[in-house]
Amino acid sequence: MTNSPDERGAELRELFFETSQELLQTLNDDALRLEKKPGDEEIVRGIRRTAHTLKGDSAACGLRELSELAHKFEDALSLEGAAAQTAVSEIAFEAADVFAEMITAYRTGGKLPATKALSKKIQDLTAAPAVKKTRRGTKADGTSSARSSAKSADWTEYEKLAMAKAQAEGLAVYHVVAKIDPHCAMPIAGRQLIQNALAGLGQVLALRPDAKSPAAAKQVEFVLATGQAPEQIAAKGRIPTIAEEVTVELMLEPNPAPKGAGESGNAASDGSNTSDGASAAETLTAPASSPSATPATHVAQENLLRVEAGRIDSVLNLVGELIIGKSMLQQALNEFGKRYPKDLLRGKFTDAMAFQARVLNDLQRSVMKIRMVPVDQLFRRFPRMVRDVARQCGRDVELVVSGHDTDLDKGILDAIAEPLTHLVRNAVSHGIEPPEERRTAGKATQGIVKLNAYHQGNQVVVEVSDDGRGIDAKKIRAKAIELGLTTPEEAARLSDTETLDFIFRPGFSTAEQVTEVSGRGVGMDVVQSVLHRLKATVSVETRLGQGTTFRLKLPLTLAIIKALLFWVEQRLYAIPLNAVLEISRTFEGEVHQVDNYEVLQLRNQVLPLLRLGRPAVDGDGKAKLFVLVILVGERKYGLIVDALEGEEELVIKALDDQTFSTDLVSGASILGDGRVVLILNLPAVVEHVAKSRPEQAGQTSAGLLMTHTDRMRLALTMSNMTTTTGGEA
Amino acid sequence: MSRELHIVGFQVGRETYGVPITSLHEIVRVPEITAVPDAPDYLEGVINLRGKIVSVMDLRKRFGVKEAQIKKHNRILVVEHAGRLAGLIVDSASEVLKIPADAVEPPPAVFQEGGLNCVTGLGKVSGRLVVLLEMSKLLAPGSLQAKNENGEKKAAAKSEARGAAAK
Repeated sequence: MTNSPDERGAELRELFFETSQELLQTLNDDALRLEKKPGDEEIVRGIRRTAHTLKGDSAACGLRELSELAHKFEDALSLEGAAAQTAVSEIAFEAADVFAEMITAYRTGGKLPATKALSKKIQDLTAAPAVKKTRRGTKADGTSSARSSAKSADWTEYEKLAMAKAQAEGLAVYHVVAKIDPHCAMPIAGRQLIQNALAGLGQVLALRPDAKSPAAAKQVEFVLATGQAPEQIAAKGRIPTIAEEVTVELMLEPNPAPKGAGESGNAASDGSNTSDGASAAETLTAPASSPSATPATHVAQENLLRVEAGRIDSVLNLVGELIIGKSMLQQALNEFGKRYPKDLLRGKFTDAMAFQARVLNDLQRSVMKIRMVPVDQLFRRFPRMVRDVARQCGRDVELVVSGHDTDLDKGILDAIAEPLTHLVRNAVSHGIEPPEERRTAGKATQGIVKLNAYHQGNQVVVEVSDDGRGIDAKKIRAKAIELGLTTPEEAARLSDTETLDFIFRPGFSTAEQVTEVSGRGVGMDVVQSVLHRLKATVSVETRLGQGTTFRLKLPLTLAIIKALLFWVEQRLYAIPLNAVLEISRTFEGEVHQVDNYEVLQLRNQVLPLLRLGRPAVDGDGKAKLFVLVILVGERKYGLIVDALEGEEELVIKALDDQTFSTDLVSGASILGDGRVVLILNLPAVVEHVAKSRPEQAGQTSAGLLMTHTDRMRLALTMSNMTTTTGGEA
Repeated sequence: MSRELHIVGFQVGRETYGVPITSLHEIVRVPEITAVPDAPDYLEGVINLRGKIVSVMDLRKRFGVKEAQIKKHNRILVVEHAGRLAGLIVDSASEVLKIPADAVEPPPAVFQEGGLNCVTGLGKVSGRLVVLLEMSKLLAPGSLQAKNENGEKKAAAKSEARGAAAK
């Protein structure tokens, strides 16, 4: 072996830390379900399975404390009547928390948390009078263990189910006993090695004894489901200096035609009987009550790869380079076509190009798909959090989640975790009123917080809504005036939607009284800033007394966008195409000034204009203008640009963040001819213009994209305008 | 035996400057530069270096040379620091200098302030003075932040808002 057992162990721990997160999540989920349906044995069994897996895995990694605690928990749950106790869900929650803390402690090498309180509760559970009632399977457990205890450990009900499942899938189930060499220095690690070796052949369904038991150092038993021959298993399991002697026995023969589940429902499951495989096969076929979900996911996991995100990113990068390469070729082909319009070769080139473009498209889509994960990965954390927050603030809240299979880029998903948590927390603690208040308002005492995700064009929309009290725009307005963010006159003119935007201002969130007044507050600016970084937008919709909806609009991916290219001041810029609603042409004379803002009347709509280039030259108003009508958040703006270039697929490359402090630009991209084009960050552009609103009449917020050189040049040519353009934007 | 420093010498204005050869990635002609809005004037923009976006700083502007039109003999020194690339526009770059370590004097104290704190020493090569630059200081994030009025105004407005909120 090249790897020392120590290294293997470390690797194993890492793996465990990763998988344990899923187990904990399952535990939380089950606990939540149990809380809703107290006493449901099915769910309790699920919890027990989770605890069991956790116990086994942690034991395999030598995490003794965790394994012991999980073991106690499992034991307590397997008692008859334990399920009927209402405390189970409570304990399961606590166990999930304590387990999580322990795992973090193991991971970081920190101090293990106190587990006494939990142990005590678990013990209480055990001490409670256990009602004996006969169930299927339990009896079988007794008989089977009695029959074969001399030979092997008895398998739990869950393990037997897994065996039956494997058998039904046409795999043979073997009982493998490996005697660990007494001279082996690290028997526990050795045993793990054997397990790994066997796992390569098939599926390890059960493992005995636990790593923590003294017997673990002497021998190890597996139940292995595999299509391989027994000789091969023995050969694999025989690892020099660790396991000298390996015996393989057939437990269950593969079952070519799976039996109906109902037929053997009552049969005693006799998994540990290793000798008469055939009869066992008959009786073991999926007991009717068996929840086959867990074995099924086991199978599914075999087809899953855990890949470092970095590797996928580098593939995606290469695809990006290829796309640049493709546009280079396309450009060359165009030139070729111009030079030799009649050449036959041109047709061949065109065909090859088209083919390549198609394949490249597919390739890109496939790679992107790898990065896509269902939002459920994020959403599933919330039920537990909502429950906890609701308890803390004395609210009665139900969380309704929909659209959890909507796919989203992993990077984006990770980034919105924090903002979304803020929003959900706020919805529960501030949005939803206390039960009494709801009753007086004539609403159901139980508030509803909805979490929804769906695709919309090239975007993913994530909504957090509550049916609570809503946000009072009047109060926000008053607060904004009080904080000096706006003047009373100005505030009076703001629409409710505009007013609500104040809650995203940094200063707005910290003041305590605002939280009470508005019902929103803590961390809203964090939400906003994270979303800005993602080129995403957030909008609020609220109705007083009826609830509030926060709507996040996220790009599908961070890597490649369809963009509209245009010119400003002889420079090329790009914006995401999905933000562009329409392109309109107008004249300078059509631009009006309202309240120091430039606006354009477009089909009965007044459109605020953002001038990106140099300010309007006083003329006869005949100068032509291109206006891109864009949608940022829920509002429309018009971007005045000099000329349009076209539409192109851009591979976004990050600008050196440390060098450029600007947030106006979200990235850059390289065109087919090697030119660099900057991609504008629209939310930031809009914000810039809104912030730097001119103080005097007659001034316009022009020249957002003008560089120093431009300004200097402009200053030279129009010395009278110097003061107005120099300090702005 | 005294150690020798291998320095790439280049001209900015009338002076010769030098960066350690180890931090040099390559020297290229000045390609088309894409200007970035809202950036300080000596940040010329970004260039496409064989598919990589590299930000470019005009050292001539940084060191106070007023007339800085880009001419044919101008070059971009692409330097690498802490894993990222950056371009420096210089008047011309030509030579590799070997300077004995003991011929390098520490920079005068006045250099420590302002935009010149990136000078690590003055090297003497055959009667000429070479100003040695340190990449980490030259490219430090702080030194490249837009220090224009606007930025300060923004910061001030923010802190005001915070202050008001705290009340």
